[in-house]
Amino acid sequence: MLLLQLLVNGIVTGCALGVVAVSFALVYATTRIFHIAHAGVYTLGGYLAWSLLAHGVPEPLALLGAMAGCTVLGAAIQHFLYAPLERRRATHLIVLIASLGALAVIQNLIAAVYSSDILEFTIPWASAVVTLGGLRLTGAQLATLALSLAAFVGMLWFAHRTLLGKRIRAVASNPFLAEITRLEPRAVYVTVIAIASAVVCIPGVLVPLDLGLQPYGGVTPLLTATIAMIAGGVGSLGGAFLFAVVIVVLQNLSLLVMPGEWSIGVTFAIFVVFMLFRPRGLFAAG
Amino acid sequence: MRMSRFWLAAVAAGALLGAAAPARAKTIELGALLPLTGPGAVIGTEQMRGIQFAVDELNAKGGIDGDKVHVIYDDDQAKSDQAVLDFNKLVSLQHVPMIWLAYSGPTLATAPLATRRHILILNSGAQSDALQKASPYLVNTLPSTEEEVKVMVKYLRAQGKSTAAVLYENDAAGIGGRDDFVKDFKAAGGKIVAQEPVQFGQTDFRPALLKLASAKPQVLYVVTTVGMVPLADQLHEMNHKWLVAGTTFMNNPQVIADPNAAGLIHTQVEANVSPALMAAFQKKMGVEMGFFSRQYYNSAQMIFIILDHMIKAKTPITGANMRTELFKIKTFATPVPMTFTSNTAIVPIAIEEMKNGTEVTITHSVAK
Repeated sequence: MLLLQLLVNGIVTGCALGVVAVSFALVYATTRIFHIAHAGVYTLGGYLAWSLLAHGVPEPLALLGAMAGCTVLGAAIQHFLYAPLERRRATHLIVLIASLGALAVIQNLIAAVYSSDILEFTIPWASAVVTLGGLRLTGAQLATLALSLAAFVGMLWFAHRTLLGKRIRAVASNPFLAEITRLEPRAVYVTVIAIASAVVCIPGVLVPLDLGLQPYGGVTPLLTATIAMIAGGVGSLGGAFLFAVVIVVLQNLSLLVMPGEWSIGVTFAIFVVFMLFRPRGLFAAG
Repeated sequence: MRMSRFWLAAVAAGALLGAAAPARAKTIELGALLPLTGPGAVIGTEQMRGIQFAVDELNAKGGIDGDKVHVIYDDDQAKSDQAVLDFNKLVSLQHVPMIWLAYSGPTLATAPLATRRHILILNSGAQSDALQKASPYLVNTLPSTEEEVKVMVKYLRAQGKSTAAVLYENDAAGIGGRDDFVKDFKAAGGKIVAQEPVQFGQTDFRPALLKLASAKPQVLYVVTTVGMVPLADQLHEMNHKWLVAGTTFMNNPQVIADPNAAGLIHTQVEANVSPALMAAFQKKMGVEMGFFSRQYYNSAQMIFIILDHMIKAKTPITGANMRTELFKIKTFATPVPMTFTSNTAIVPIAIEEMKNGTEVTITHSVAK
């Protein structure tokens, strides 16, 4: 039963981080920007939802409102930060540092407005425990699992079945050709980051619903998401999602055979070895 | 040219006269390195409020013999490397003779610097055992975790608890607390059946709790400093049967108010102050005077007593002199009285149980 509970807990958290990985992968594959500030957008989503709920907004509307706020923030980062840097032909390193700076600004603003205290959502159904056989899961965990899977499937459908999704993939595949064929890569970049920001807001709300909000809480999920994206293969949304789940499940299950202080190190060591054999990742596009 | 020489001479004379003037400044500058951002910021901000309330109160009454006190705060984020940078800045640029610190990591990291540069460092928030012998210039107004552990182990064994698991933070404070508990519980005839670490700031305790639960202990001893509300919620979610025990770090108003925390017990360094002081603090700061505000308010009062003695005796205000004066005074009639026979204060410790959104004292003891 311990094994099963650890496995299920890992899958739940892994699915949430899978959505972070998928949204991060979408941005990176299209824009080639290492969008570290995505961690800030993720964090802000939770705080926006918390504020809306505190003002009596119903839960689904609070989630949608937070997603709208994240969409605006993501688009603003692209429009006011990345696009001007691109126009000035800034190197990838400069853009990365700018993104890191944006993350620091977002985190500190959140800490200044909400304090650094761990904030808790007070939603009765979220903390209610559901027993399935011998498994015990909270309402927040079940919601995380359901909505994260729905977000992942929705992202796949969007990328492969919609005109906008195909346009994004075309730009990601060859930005120069996209420019010539009037696919307007710059407009696509804004759209991509806006969409990714809306999507990352879903785990940004659901994970803190279960574990509480912290202004600096977005960095660890983004680290896992980054590794999942690379191991899954840049450009493969499914690969990023799958590896995020695998990483978290491995971290959880490793507790069965080793003390917790080793689990993160050993898990990532496995991925380092994996990358030595598959440096382009398991499902690399192209 | 003659005029230039005249002005040069005048400036030099002025400088000499200035140097001959009394060395004691009209504002005494002290330092405080606290975690004001990051996961430790809740406690750090509470500590800062305690110091600042004491300073404002003192300055409003005219200071110490007319001298005002000003505290320069720096944010170390509870990180050792940042604390070292900030320590050097406060000492080299601001020339402060003493610095308040919090959290074991930063305090231990700055202790060798304090020894080398003769700066008095005052810890009223960290409890790692290593703090007791880290530096002759480090003074602790809180007893070490070891003292709290002894009180708790005695209580647990008296209750017939013979098996325990330990959940600890993977840092100096957590590891020290774990080692103390394991040693003392075994020495008292108990058995440790499992132990698991968590990272500072971590709020997902489920994997560690599941592993510990599988060992079926009678007691879960917790040595973590943050994330107590998620911990209480996740413990409740597991429908556990063990007794959950911890240290002073469980004293968090949010945890006490959490219905899921009912039944948790913890040792508590007693820091009771008068209702009038609590009310004045609440009025000025807009929040309740929490445990760490009381601790740092109390240690600020101790510093004021030391400074008062030194100013009256016309002793230069240096870190070395402050330390000498502290051990000369030895017993301080501060709101929470303290006595120093070593660099760690002797204070009373209680065991409290969380019940219906409040705490009930089960036993009293004294840490030596």
